[in-house]
Amino acid sequence: MSTSPILRLSGTTRVHGEGPLAVRALGPISIDVHPGEFVAVMGPSGSGKSTMLGLSGALDQPTEGTVLIQGEDLRTIGAVRLAELRRQVIGYVFQDFNLLPGLTAVENVALPLELDGVRLRAARDQAQSALADVELGELGNRFPDDLSGGERQRVAIARAFVGPRQLLLADEPTGALDTITGDLVMRLMRKQCDAGRTTILVTHDASHAAWADRILFLRDGLLVDEAGTLPADTVSADTVPAP
Amino acid sequence: MTVKNSLLAILSQEPTHGYGLKSAFEETTSGTWPLNVGQVYQTLNRLERDGLVEAGAVDDSTRQTWQITDAGRDALNGWYGEPVAADPPIRDELAIKVLLAVATDEVNARDILTTQRTATMERIQELTRHKRKADPDAELPWVLLVEALILKAEAEVKWLDLCEAHLARRTKR
Repeated sequence: MSTSPILRLSGTTRVHGEGPLAVRALGPISIDVHPGEFVAVMGPSGSGKSTMLGLSGALDQPTEGTVLIQGEDLRTIGAVRLAELRRQVIGYVFQDFNLLPGLTAVENVALPLELDGVRLRAARDQAQSALADVELGELGNRFPDDLSGGERQRVAIARAFVGPRQLLLADEPTGALDTITGDLVMRLMRKQCDAGRTTILVTHDASHAAWADRILFLRDGLLVDEAGTLPADTVSADTVPAP
Repeated sequence: MTVKNSLLAILSQEPTHGYGLKSAFEETTSGTWPLNVGQVYQTLNRLERDGLVEAGAVDDSTRQTWQITDAGRDALNGWYGEPVAADPPIRDELAIKVLLAVATDEVNARDILTTQRTATMERIQELTRHKRKADPDAELPWVLLVEALILKAEAEVKWLDLCEAHLARRTKR
């Protein structure tokens, strides 16, 4: 791929503790993720998936190696720029939605923009458009308690991608949803990636990971294999007969 | 059994000629089970012998149509009413390969699990691409079939994960 990566992990390692008590949670691991890619990360509990996501989202720092987001080295850019990246480039989605119950859907989605200094009217307009992208344009004035689990997660996705944000980091976003609702969430994430945004999804669910272009398998903190490295158009269609 | 009951199910809608039965069966099952016309006529002969279908009118193109009898409807309802029996015990190559690798220590069983998991995940990715393209309203049988294949492959991935967890526990001991 000729574009420069939106995320680059190089020899990235995270060790907790020191000396004989040190525990290696991740790495060394090296991965490039390009704009528009949908990458899933799978592996057993304790394999380093969430550590990798935290490092990729500037929520944690590696003990060795580097993390580059849009070419910027998170160790050297300083706290102010780091906070900017977290607000302007990266969006997070968690299993339990993390919406503020006292705000409506559109207010929840607009909040990160308002915190970033965007004027109220512009923030609400962008939030409304992000809600329309996740097919919730009509429900902007509802409070989280008046939405189903699937609708709440779609609001969280809208919030993660609102405004200029390009990199969505999702930790088990379908864990609390039934299969059909989980599929809808995957379909919407896929649509965002097809429009040029980037998603890294941590999941236990093989049928949801399969929506991604690439699937990384972690074990004991190391990358052990990767599925889906073939470009989609070289994959034959004869695994299943045509309808 | 499946072909016999499928033909009864199609005939329960309307009398149909042999080639029409083949086409309807293949369309409903999205082409996963191609039938040859000879097989259809052979099955019709057996159904007629057992009194479950009978020859109907000859259609405009002078083709013999077939219609379901009351006994045929009873047989069909019996089939729908019974659960399908479970598959016989596992004899697939993957299970045997993993069991042998674990038992003989000739190879690293975890490597076998990793290779297989990657291949199965790529199969689920490909099936998912088919699902993405399909319209669940207009192509429901096709969508249901693809989802069945995805769930079967997903069960295989879960089993591989479980094998790996057991092996990891054994290594740590």
